[in-house]
Amino acid sequence: MLGKLIKHELRATAHTMLPVLGIMLLVSALANLGARVLNGREVPGVVTVIFTLVVILFVTGLLALGLVTVLLMVQRFRVNLLRDEGYIMHTLPVSVHAHIWSKVIVSTLWYALTGVTVVLSVMLAAMDIDFIRSMGQMLGDLGKLLFEDVRNMELLAEVLALLVLGGLAASLSFDAALSIGHAFASRKMLISVCVFVAMLILGQTAVYFVSETLYRTGLVELMDSHLTGFMQAWRVICAYAAALLTASGAICYGVTAWFLKRRLNLE
Amino acid sequence: MPVLECKGLSKSYGAKRALDGVDLRVEAGRIVGLLGPNGSGKTTLIKLANGLLTPTQGRILVNGLEPGVETKRAVSYLPERACLPDWMSARDLMGFYGDFYADFDRQAAEDMLSRLGIDLRAGMKSLSKGNREKVQLIMVMARRARLYLLDEPIGGVDPAARDYILNTIISNYNPEASVIISTHLISDVEKVLDDVIFINQGKVVLAAPADELREQQGKSVDQIFREVFRC
Repeated sequence: MLGKLIKHELRATAHTMLPVLGIMLLVSALANLGARVLNGREVPGVVTVIFTLVVILFVTGLLALGLVTVLLMVQRFRVNLLRDEGYIMHTLPVSVHAHIWSKVIVSTLWYALTGVTVVLSVMLAAMDIDFIRSMGQMLGDLGKLLFEDVRNMELLAEVLALLVLGGLAASLSFDAALSIGHAFASRKMLISVCVFVAMLILGQTAVYFVSETLYRTGLVELMDSHLTGFMQAWRVICAYAAALLTASGAICYGVTAWFLKRRLNLE
Repeated sequence: MPVLECKGLSKSYGAKRALDGVDLRVEAGRIVGLLGPNGSGKTTLIKLANGLLTPTQGRILVNGLEPGVETKRAVSYLPERACLPDWMSARDLMGFYGDFYADFDRQAAEDMLSRLGIDLRAGMKSLSKGNREKVQLIMVMARRARLYLLDEPIGGVDPAARDYILNTIISNYNPEASVIISTHLISDVEKVLDDVIFINQGKVVLAAPADELREQQGKSVDQIFREVFRC
């Protein structure tokens, strides 16, 4: 059933996310065109205004895209599981766990695609023949670097794993805050936001104590010493970051599941 | 085994007691009217049977099981309000229901939709409120479920739509299944009911076969309801 939930979740979210990401890419292409047209040429005032607006839209869009994706995912969880649509979703023959996983997996996928879109947008906006050549060169060099030493591949895998873990943990923290806030009879969104802020403060406190502990173990000196030392320190930091993200994700998962099972309040 | 059974079932929202020690049994193959004024606990009882709420005390069993994934396979539920996603078309909805419910009869749903003249490709957003409610009822009644829980299916609709809804229920439900219709509009549903349950302030005040009640008291269920719940 999880596969079916993911299929429907992808369809429902694609309905809003694909146009958003598509528009961002289109604006990037127009910004590229605008930069070429405006680049030291005499053009009518209207054209200058239009392309200046496109460039402003591009920069704003680039900055706002991540936030828009987060808001759309938060809204999707809220509308689909905590408001009227919840009457249909929570009476499907699937467990609360399947509901949470479907939401978290699909949200993380859209966060990743948003990241890819941001990179593509920047490339699209800056693209010219020289840029394509230098990108090709850069990708070739990167490929060589990765395959030349297995440790480089491991490093890349670790960074990617941390990003995925971060996406899952972030998604679960939004879901947990919403589930708690919507268990109340009124001011559901306000309470959800307050819960999220409290969770952020707790999270930052945990990060602070872990960083302090790591600092006292002499990790910073190790990082400054030499490449092998840097790699050792990096591994330790990655392990701690993964542990923190897993712990916060697990707590948020448990909280979300409990509130959806025991404190669901669709009214 | 009863299709639905409540044993000392209570549900409180904070200090407010919505259901108070309800004991009842609904046997298979019956059409039951869950009748009571607004705020009497009808919707709470139906939500508990669907696992949307958890009891404060007592137990509720569907086919002998606590509400959960297994019971949800057997229950077809019509919520009080239309809650179909706006962006979905009737075709999308049939795909959705077909994916999750093995007992969903797509052909029956298509037939009912075509009789209603609903374009299968049209999004729910483009339909009138009345048609959205009918589409939701069609999705619910196109299942071959063991228990249909219909919460206020005729509340807030015109008399012609009430007839359509009741006909859809009567001509499409699985005859081996039970149907529980919660409403306070008794005169419209009276003719289809096998059993009635009167509920007031969270307590069952009367539960009996409709014919027996009419014979004993020489009045329609609607008249008895008006007397029991006189303000």
